[in-house]
Amino acid sequence: MTPAEPKHRDDNLMDRFDRPGLRRFRARDAIIAVAIGSVILILSAGGSIRKAGNSMRAGIGRDAVLAVGDPAGWLAGRLPVQHAAHVLTNWLSPNLDLSGFVGFTTTSSTTTAAAGSIPPVTPDAFDPGTIGAPPPARQPLHTLLVTGDSMSEPLDQDLAQLLVPDGVNVIQDPHIGTGISSTVLVDWGKLSAYQVRHDHPNAIVVFIGANDGYSMPGPGGREVNCCSVEWATIYAQRVREMMNTYRQGGAARVYWLTLPTPRDPARAKISLVVNAAIEVAAEPWRDQIRVIDTVPVFTPGNRYRDSMPINGEPTIVRESDGIHLNDAGSELAAKLVLGYVDKDFTH
Amino acid sequence: MLFPTVQFGIFFPIVLALSWALMSRPALWKPFIVAASYVFYAAASPVFCLLLAGVTLWNHGAARLIHRSPDERAKAWICRLAVAGNLLLLGVFKYYSWFAQGVAQVLHSFSLGVPLPLLTIALPVGISFFTFQAISYTVDVKRGLIEPARLIDTTVYLSFFPHLVAGPIVRAREFLPQLASPRDPSRVAVSSGLMLIGMGLVKKVVLADYLGRTVVDPVFAVPRAYHAPDVLLAAYAYTAQIYCDFSGYTDIAIGLALLMGFVFPQNFNSPYRATGFRDFWRRWHMTLSRFLRDFVYIPLGGSRGSRLMTYRNLMITMLLGGLWHGAAWTFVLWGAYNGVGLVTEHALGGRLRAPGWLRWLITFHLVVLGWVMFRAESLGVTWAFLSRLASPGSATLWTVPVLAAIVVAIGPQLLPARPVQALQDWIGRLRPIVLAPALAVLILFIGATVPSQGVPPFIYFRF
Repeated sequence: MTPAEPKHRDDNLMDRFDRPGLRRFRARDAIIAVAIGSVILILSAGGSIRKAGNSMRAGIGRDAVLAVGDPAGWLAGRLPVQHAAHVLTNWLSPNLDLSGFVGFTTTSSTTTAAAGSIPPVTPDAFDPGTIGAPPPARQPLHTLLVTGDSMSEPLDQDLAQLLVPDGVNVIQDPHIGTGISSTVLVDWGKLSAYQVRHDHPNAIVVFIGANDGYSMPGPGGREVNCCSVEWATIYAQRVREMMNTYRQGGAARVYWLTLPTPRDPARAKISLVVNAAIEVAAEPWRDQIRVIDTVPVFTPGNRYRDSMPINGEPTIVRESDGIHLNDAGSELAAKLVLGYVDKDFTH
Repeated sequence: MLFPTVQFGIFFPIVLALSWALMSRPALWKPFIVAASYVFYAAASPVFCLLLAGVTLWNHGAARLIHRSPDERAKAWICRLAVAGNLLLLGVFKYYSWFAQGVAQVLHSFSLGVPLPLLTIALPVGISFFTFQAISYTVDVKRGLIEPARLIDTTVYLSFFPHLVAGPIVRAREFLPQLASPRDPSRVAVSSGLMLIGMGLVKKVVLADYLGRTVVDPVFAVPRAYHAPDVLLAAYAYTAQIYCDFSGYTDIAIGLALLMGFVFPQNFNSPYRATGFRDFWRRWHMTLSRFLRDFVYIPLGGSRGSRLMTYRNLMITMLLGGLWHGAAWTFVLWGAYNGVGLVTEHALGGRLRAPGWLRWLITFHLVVLGWVMFRAESLGVTWAFLSRLASPGSATLWTVPVLAAIVVAIGPQLLPARPVQALQDWIGRLRPIVLAPALAVLILFIGATVPSQGVPPFIYFRF
């Protein structure tokens, strides 16, 4: 893009691999080299290939990866190479060490409560505001943790921009591509415990569920597929475990956003179940857990829309993927969250 | 499908072996490589394979018509129509939401209704690259620089997976001659290809993603939470990140193509060594620079008119170059900033004498400033970021690994070219059977640095 260049000077350097000193080989060498590299990787990281396959959504791609990953994982698991490679490279891992934390309980009961074993209702189940009781005194907000999957971005940035100037420590901890129904990438049961112990937040905002819909182990280890009542029950149990961790025995407040209906009907069906499970999960602690329903705001009647009026002005609020909120939508969600936070905290 | 993923790690060895097995029979190889490339693209968005096929047919048809037409005016009109079709497609997918939202805001301020439906449209991966390549093909046929290709060759050219989603922007006259005869299986730059793949992976996964995760993303998200030292560090870190991310992708793309027997044009040439804007654009994203020069700047008149016309042409070219990167005012601002830089440099015309190191220092920091505009989510964030540079405070993000990553990313570009070249040549002469295990071990170490959520997409995938 420089003026006065000759019109078609050979500035593409297409012959740079022909210069003297560079060596050419046979195509067979290329194939052998790639094959050797592949064998080494299969032997030393076969388990990772299988894990990558398990973290993918059902489909041809997942089947193809698992067709290689399953035997590779089996083989690598029986040879010492994988273990040695893990020992040699593990120090580079940026992932949190969650080994000391308890994950989701896999034996969630999904049976109907039998007569005579009615769970007790406790005062925690009532949000004072809903029954006209005086609200508890507002506490100073020190540390706000914003977490979840990619839905929590850029909500976390918007909340930080709103609260950091007031001296609030806003921790942004998104875990892209993760879900509560899949523990392959992250076990949110463990992660939530780690976050509480590590960050000591007194308010937690959670926005997650866009990647959910994976089958989960039910009673007896049987896989339960989305989106039956049984699946919703297991999902709600996991959400409840996380809520219980985050509320820290009542010392913290949790703000859990439901999913705005996505454009894709298949995803919309999952989001409906995820949202219902969130509501059910929060029931024992309504005074500490605020479920912020985004559906009436962004997708009234569970009908997807790209745009909506904000302050009377027509505004696009969704990303082009039909799942995430865009900057304008996220800003609106942040104000919605802040409205709830301000009822419980000063800052 | 991303290059640094398990899926691609399974896909490529199979395709490479079959590609060379079929290479001597073009009638089989070409349909095979088209099928493989469409499988590669379908992994990202199956429905947009139809779009890619449509672009191919549209430009192939236009090129044929141009070639057959005896009338120069008719050729020109067909060419304009074909280019307009490509730009319309690009405009609808890339700029519609931005445009409609802007129109709605303006009209709303006058209490007028919204004339366009406010919709978001999914952006097909790589659309900016394959439409530009398609334009270059049609226009080069119109200019008589190349003959129209057979449909299968046009299809291979536009869909060839190593350059499909993020370039480099390979011109038809660079690629089509390579299809004219089967690649020579006894002259493959295997070791150079393996070296480039390794370098690209290190740049992308180790350096770019690390800097993005630890410094760039947090600071650009909430600049107000940081003081001058950290904000300054984030500006340098992004300068390193975007280079490593994009040139890393390009290295991998060129390396893969080399293993398959193809050569792509160079896309980067130590850009942070530049001693002026003009020099920078000769070194950064060179294939885009050439495209804009040949298809925007020169057709506008280039530097053939008056001084003012040259400035106008430079500004238009750079504004369009900025807008090509995305539908946002930050990219427009970045384009305008570079345009002003080029115009200023042109106006000074070498009247200002300064030592080379000072010219480099000034240019480097002007480029860093440009990247701040480029990275910020909005003009407001740009301003917030820059204003924090005047806020003294503690350095919380300055760590040895971060500084080392920045130095490793930028430093080698400042070294004398000859020893770096000599090292690359030495690696390029090593036997592939020696290099392959080394690359596998390198990938193991690189893989260990990947967080649980995987490798983030390349920055230029969004463009």
